[in-house]
Amino acid sequence: MELIDLGLAKRNEESFVTFLDQICSRFELDHAAYAGTNPVSGAIHGYVTYPDAWKRHYAENGLHRLDPTLIMASKSIAPVDWRRLERTAGYDTVFRDARDFGITERGLTIPVRGPYGDIGMLSVTRDCSVTEWEKLLRHILSDLQSVAVHVHDTVMRSDALSRALRYPSLSTREREILQWIAAGKSQQDVGDILGISHRTVEVHLRSGREKLYALTTPQAVGRAIMLGLIYPL
Amino acid sequence: MIIVIDALNKDRFADLLDDMYQLRARVFGDRLGWEVEIIDGREIDQFDRLDPAYVIGLDDEGHVVSCVRALQTTGPHMLSDVFQAILDGEPPLRSATLWESTRFCVDTQRLCRDGNTMKAVSLATCELMIGSLEFARRSGIADIITVIDPVIDRVLKRSNNAPYDYVGSTKQMGKVPAMAALLDCSEERIARVRDFAGIHHDVFASEDQVRQLLDKRHAEADRVAIAQAEAEGTSVVSAQQLMDYCREQLDAARTEEERAAARRLVAVLLDNTDRPGLRLAV
Repeated sequence: MELIDLGLAKRNEESFVTFLDQICSRFELDHAAYAGTNPVSGAIHGYVTYPDAWKRHYAENGLHRLDPTLIMASKSIAPVDWRRLERTAGYDTVFRDARDFGITERGLTIPVRGPYGDIGMLSVTRDCSVTEWEKLLRHILSDLQSVAVHVHDTVMRSDALSRALRYPSLSTREREILQWIAAGKSQQDVGDILGISHRTVEVHLRSGREKLYALTTPQAVGRAIMLGLIYPL
Repeated sequence: MIIVIDALNKDRFADLLDDMYQLRARVFGDRLGWEVEIIDGREIDQFDRLDPAYVIGLDDEGHVVSCVRALQTTGPHMLSDVFQAILDGEPPLRSATLWESTRFCVDTQRLCRDGNTMKAVSLATCELMIGSLEFARRSGIADIITVIDPVIDRVLKRSNNAPYDYVGSTKQMGKVPAMAALLDCSEERIARVRDFAGIHHDVFASEDQVRQLLDKRHAEADRVAIAQAEAEGTSVVSAQQLMDYCREQLDAARTEEERAAARRLVAVLLDNTDRPGLRLAV
């Protein structure tokens, strides 16, 4: 299943939660949650697929103030498997309550750092054995990293000032690769034309795609044309 | 052996980080003559305050022999903030699956003493490369962009770990030039380095293993210091005893108030010690 393009969807709470739902079904997860702070607008954003009862309990008891899956994980650069947090402050309190609401402690938080001191976290859970969990993570973690940055960047652009600050800044290399792709060339062709390795094309294309807040290359090409960064052919 | 230190376990390994900052001062300040700031024999910059992840290599006695620092390219990092010159004015790559690695270094002095040859240096270098590539791969990272000097670039090439490309161009940074190289974190690359070095075991040590090793090393150093002090007729509390006591106090604290009180006590105790690493270690 394709994920909806958050860049085009009307950015409201409903579309973010729908996106999280889609992440769950695409990556075989039970729940997904995003939390982020935007120092530019001063806003704190949070979207979750958790049941309402747990959301209410979490908010009423101020669990976000001690939840190590947010507080500790936000300081990491690598994804944090919640097993790593078992001995940290707040873990027992939060997960004792979570278990009562049927929320598993088999989870992972992907921290995202943005350019303006903004920090976001995409957390996902799945109630399963350790073996199954590790196998799943090996399979999906790279894609989840990209999805986490996509959600974060999109949420961080929800006000006009932040959107202006985050105008995509593409390098010459990124632009020329997108330009050749727009001309219908395959990645292999582009590598041959520019005399660079397939992997170099790939790493620049991925960067260009993410700078344009796109999940797929066609979306990226479309947006680059729209912004006048490359020519339509 | 390799250990990864980040914001989640840095309090437990502050002594290790302190050793690492000293190694960096010796390598980047003294040997390479980079324009780095060294205070108290330690090289620490603005990016160390951003909670990066460090991949650190240790010898069997628990001395830091190699290290490298990783940051996400989605947020502030060296290529976006201080190494722009290398990129010829172009904006840096930014991707969820691309990490930047900087401050790659190896303690050639320590590895070459006792008549050891460059073989030990090569082995330590490869172990660090394997550790960094595997750590990145395990985190879902596909590529690494690494800021290195031409010497390290040659080392990479000689170790079956040649960069697949470079971004920007080589620029003079202090006494030596620096460049930005691209490495994929593929299983094939990791296998190539492992084959080259003949390293086929798991290079990572557990946190407990490393902690034990460090504690043993400190205890040994303290024994020597105490013996010396006693010979001079002065009485001392060993740094290890002091550190154990401080840890006990922190571990025993159950509430925020208790923890704050324990931290205050620890601060007072450590203000009166002369081991700089200890202050950070608790």
